[in-house]
Amino acid sequence: MSTQERIEKMLKKAEVIIAAGGEKRIAKQHEQGKMTARERIAALLDEGSFVELDRFVKHRCYNFGQDKKDCPGEGVTTGYGTVDGRLVYVFAQDFTVEGGSLGEMHANKIVKVQRLALKMGAPCIGMNDSGGARIQEATDALGGYGKIFFENTGASGVIPQISAIMGPSAGGAVYSPALTDFIYMVKNTSQMFITGPEVVKTVTGEVVTKEALGGAMTHNSKSGVAHFAAENDEDCIQQIRYLLSFLPSNNMEPAPVVETGDDPMRTDESLNTLLPDNSNAPYDMYDVIKSIVDNGEFYESQKFYAQNIITCFARMDGSTVGIIANQPKVMAGCLDINASDKAARFIRFCDAFNIPLLNLVDVPGFLPGTYQEYGGIIRHGAKMLYAYSEATVPKVTLVTRKAYGGSYLAMCSQELGADQVIAWPTAEIAVMGPAGAANIIFKKDPDKDARTQEYIDNFASPYYAAQHQMVDLIIEPKNSRPAVCNALAMLESKREVRPAKRHGNIPL
Amino acid sequence: MKQYTITVNGTAYDVCVEEAGSVASAPKAAPAPAPAAAAPVAAGAATVTAPMPGKVLSVNVKAGDAVKAGDVLLILEAMKMQNEIMAPQDGTIAEVRVSANQNVATGDVMIVM
Repeated sequence: MSTQERIEKMLKKAEVIIAAGGEKRIAKQHEQGKMTARERIAALLDEGSFVELDRFVKHRCYNFGQDKKDCPGEGVTTGYGTVDGRLVYVFAQDFTVEGGSLGEMHANKIVKVQRLALKMGAPCIGMNDSGGARIQEATDALGGYGKIFFENTGASGVIPQISAIMGPSAGGAVYSPALTDFIYMVKNTSQMFITGPEVVKTVTGEVVTKEALGGAMTHNSKSGVAHFAAENDEDCIQQIRYLLSFLPSNNMEPAPVVETGDDPMRTDESLNTLLPDNSNAPYDMYDVIKSIVDNGEFYESQKFYAQNIITCFARMDGSTVGIIANQPKVMAGCLDINASDKAARFIRFCDAFNIPLLNLVDVPGFLPGTYQEYGGIIRHGAKMLYAYSEATVPKVTLVTRKAYGGSYLAMCSQELGADQVIAWPTAEIAVMGPAGAANIIFKKDPDKDARTQEYIDNFASPYYAAQHQMVDLIIEPKNSRPAVCNALAMLESKREVRPAKRHGNIPL
Repeated sequence: MKQYTITVNGTAYDVCVEEAGSVASAPKAAPAPAPAAAAPVAAGAATVTAPMPGKVLSVNVKAGDAVKAGDVLLILEAMKMQNEIMAPQDGTIAEVRVSANQNVATGDVMIVM
């Protein structure tokens, strides 16, 4: 064979693989509003930056005549490229080839990029669109999932891992995304479930659609499994690029600093009048966030889940911060099981990736009730205490209003390691709700009502805490942005050493 | 003949069920009415439930009122807060099941739309 023939042979082989499942299946993919694996990768990465690895990989299964079957690319396209000039690794399952089913070699291709991403300290992005395990490959397919899970876990906290669900993801396939940092789901075309509607019907008798059981909004609003919802593939991919702009490439790097053009010393008079005079009336915590972050821009994780707490990325003077904020407008901003889980996970992500934490506090307490107690609010709430105490990144706490009891500790009080606690004059930092406290102290006092009012005036304020060094600054609300920017700049060199251990034991 | 109240999408239906063959003379012409036939569920019917235990402070709407998503339907005092309970969607109020000063538990249906 001449050299020219050898080159042509290679090109021909590549052509077959790039053609994937063929025109018919690709047309069907497009009909469903879905992009192909290669289109998704091209949209995600900077133009022309993609380098495909393992293009010529083939399965080695001889069961059930599989050896006569050709699966171009083994149903997954893998490689690396750049996003905004920064290296990322990527794999995209190809539904047009054997339904994107995962066999031994399909898994091995994914594992290779996972390992490379970890070695290079670059984010790993997985785009999932798969019918599940390739059953013909038996335990080789099962083991493939196992290998992927193991790599996911090993890379957790070292590199950001992002999963996009852009088609079906059922059974074992759901657990790789679940082990990553963030899950995106595309509305209407993606579903995640352990068992599909058919099995659910057989076992429990429940009749449920795929979308209701495991669609994008189910997991974004009900289960909390997913973090972001996208309108379509293109939107999903653009959102992933946007998320990456906030994140460092690995746990040894700081997050990228961006020139935002917003003056860190900018004040905002509207914050002085944001709070209603009645401390039991709600207001919108988003107004505070928009006011203090660079250009009012923030990107929210789990926007539709446990809306009584807000978790988002934003920039302060160009640097990424992770914001955890109570939302008085929803369920009084109380902490419950779901809010605790949502916040604790976000805190730990930020801490793992050197992203400072800004805590905006207006919290009346933990939600009472049998439902919460039976559901284990004690161990779930403890996750917040644990996550904040464990975090060694800069921690700034801004108390706008209520900061009552254990729930205030769970929002990162000074004792939980807040490096700076800033309070508005409207702050009510107290051991418990003031009315309840007065009720205990003045139980037998004939002048109970007057004494209660006196107590509220004296103790539902930032001053008792400030007198005892639990508040560093009391500021006019309009100066919040300058105060927080200043605190974060001061904390840039923060270094805190903790005792060496194998790992802690967060209450799960 | 047994009577049941069955709730479908938040709307309660009274349903009579007759055991087949229990009475020989049971007229065949009177089958148990299917719930869906009794009163069709209004398209997109929704219920507004209490998100947490508390006391209803005031109710802003009455049956028959047209509301838009985000309108404040009632104020629920809970967790030291006058929580604004908002309409989840555009629609008409079918039923108000609570009144001022009434205590509610998590999940109680307060308003049917």
